[in-house]
Amino acid sequence: MTAQPSVAGPAASVGRIWAVALNTFREAARIRVLYGILVLVVASNLLALVMGEMSIREETRVARDVGLAGISLFGSLTAIFLGVFLLYSEVQRRTIHAIVSKPIERWEFVFGKYLGMALVLSVLVALFGLAMALLLGSQGVAPSLAVAKALVLAWAEVLTVAAIAIFFSSFSSPFLSGIFALGLFALGRLTPDIEAAAATAQGTWIPAVATVALELVPDLHLFSISGRMLDGVAVSVHGEFVGWGYVATALGYGALWILGLLAASSLLFQRRDFS
Amino acid sequence: MREPCADGALGPQVALSLAASVSALAIEVRGLEKTYRTPFRRRKVEALRGVSFSVERGRVFGFLGPNGAGKTTTIRVLMGLIRPSAGSCRIMGHDLPSQVARSRVGFLPEQPYFYDYLTVSELLDLAGRLFGLDRATRRRRADELIAKVGLDRARSQSLKKYSKGMLQRAGLAQALMNDPDVVVLDEPTSGLDPVGRKEVRELILELRDAGKTVFFSSHILSDVETIADEIAIVARGQIQSQGTPRELVGQSLQGTEIVLRLAADAANSDAERSLAAPARAARRIADELTVTLAAEDDVDAYLALAHGLGAKVVSVVPRHETLEAVFLRQIAGADASGSAREGRV
Ligand SMILES: Nc1ncnc2c1ncn2[C@@H]1O[C@H](COP(=O)(O)OP(=O)(O)OP(=O)(O)O)[C@@H](O)[C@H]1O
Ligand SMILES: [Mg+2]
Repeated sequence: MTAQPSVAGPAASVGRIWAVALNTFREAARIRVLYGILVLVVASNLLALVMGEMSIREETRVARDVGLAGISLFGSLTAIFLGVFLLYSEVQRRTIHAIVSKPIERWEFVFGKYLGMALVLSVLVALFGLAMALLLGSQGVAPSLAVAKALVLAWAEVLTVAAIAIFFSSFSSPFLSGIFALGLFALGRLTPDIEAAAATAQGTWIPAVATVALELVPDLHLFSISGRMLDGVAVSVHGEFVGWGYVATALGYGALWILGLLAASSLLFQRRDFS
Repeated sequence: MREPCADGALGPQVALSLAASVSALAIEVRGLEKTYRTPFRRRKVEALRGVSFSVERGRVFGFLGPNGAGKTTTIRVLMGLIRPSAGSCRIMGHDLPSQVARSRVGFLPEQPYFYDYLTVSELLDLAGRLFGLDRATRRRRADELIAKVGLDRARSQSLKKYSKGMLQRAGLAQALMNDPDVVVLDEPTSGLDPVGRKEVRELILELRDAGKTVFFSSHILSDVETIADEIAIVARGQIQSQGTPRELVGQSLQGTEIVLRLAADAANSDAERSLAAPARAARRIADELTVTLAAEDDVDAYLALAHGLGAKVVSVVPRHETLEAVFLRQIAGADASGSAREGRV
């Protein structure tokens, strides 16, 4: 008998997660839609520039706002798209049979799948940001620290949304997962607005229900803070933006949600039959 | 875990491997049941109804059964893809689903689907990583296996461009990346041409000669008959019989076929009539008479009679029931009892 490599231990586990991540990255990089989305983002940035030209106020202001909004919106939609399809197609096309019959644990597969997706999304967000910086640069606007922070926050949002999508796809079809994930995305984004609206219905059951519902949803609005009020102070990429402390807290918040969602996905995935 | 001594001098790891090496069985399946529930139609499918069998180490075990018998379901339970409704399995003494067991097994899924954007080298590299092999070993094993399954010329093509037979070969290669002790193959010869089937049969025998246990499913009788040391016939989610090919078909001698060349002018004579009389069946073409004796007839006495009448013995062949006949009979039996049971419900 030949000596067998050990399958136990954290190093072996990381090796398997990485193998799945790498393969997922390869798979996603072949999805043509992603390149289409990249073109869309660049186009929306260009459109923003043109609109800026027409506005009376500082033209690059519009460009920055639209650019950042485009990154977090298109990034999140891409995250939902990848999240609901990549895991599902492994089961549907039975490619998973030759994988989970090897000494990989199901949770390692889920984490590897997510990591690969996160890599793709990170590259995408970086490209979005680069495109935006280049366009702004062509208008003579130097890249600002505020925009960099906003980009990091958008990136964290996109990764959190990807985890939401994976969570739903670990037990339902792409269509339903997509609807659930979009719903959660909207709820998370509009949390303060919903709270404000619910507050106007004081004295009914609405505020209570809204509070409970919003507790169950990640506060995605924390990631797109520009143009909102924070502790009574207006925050904007064009003026007084958040500090790195805020960014770090938001990243930690996102990381906790991601870990929780992946843990729940792994539990659900563990119970599934593949036939 | 169960006893305090697990923390003793040997340590759980050693104790585990000792327990595993004691078992002479590569695969043990006990009372496996699987009921599929289709969620909307509220219909239950009893795919497995108490399947038990065991495979000794170093054997080639053929799992034979008609479509829908439950072969793939059994194999999926064995590989931890689906959970049984009842029953248990062990591979190399390890309870399933165990990571250690899976690291010792190579698996070829039914109609294998792999990532079609990969080349065969990339597929094998992925498999090697999942088995925890280092880079050098992965590369060496991949090269060996690609040559072994004859995909050298197609190694830089993506699997998307592979034919069915080539995919099957790639699937066999990825199953062998970990140099497994046990190989589980779900219909390894399906979709292959006669040459490909022969190559797969030879590969299986090669694996056996290297001391590995091979468990494969098929409904191609000749494949099972020619290479399996042991066969289990499964139908309607139950094992109908298990044994060596000889045990399954050889026990019942069906009769003896004797070909005689008659003496000159013996055609249509009394001699021919007396030779045909004791036989269950007789047929003459030119001067060759073919007779079939019943199993209990005395062959020696008959040959003496033929000799006395001047006939030459061309051949004497004992006829056993064919595996096909055994197979068809058992399937028919399973169907009959199945229908009877369903009728009662
Ligand atoms: N996911 C599933 N849901 C419902 N029924 C299923 C499912 N998978 C298999 N079955 C049923 O279980 C039974 C056994 O199927 P299985 O695939 O194990 O047969 P098999 O022996 O491999 O057949 P074949 O030779 O055609 O591959 C069949 O009646 C099949 O319809
Ligand atoms: Mg099958």
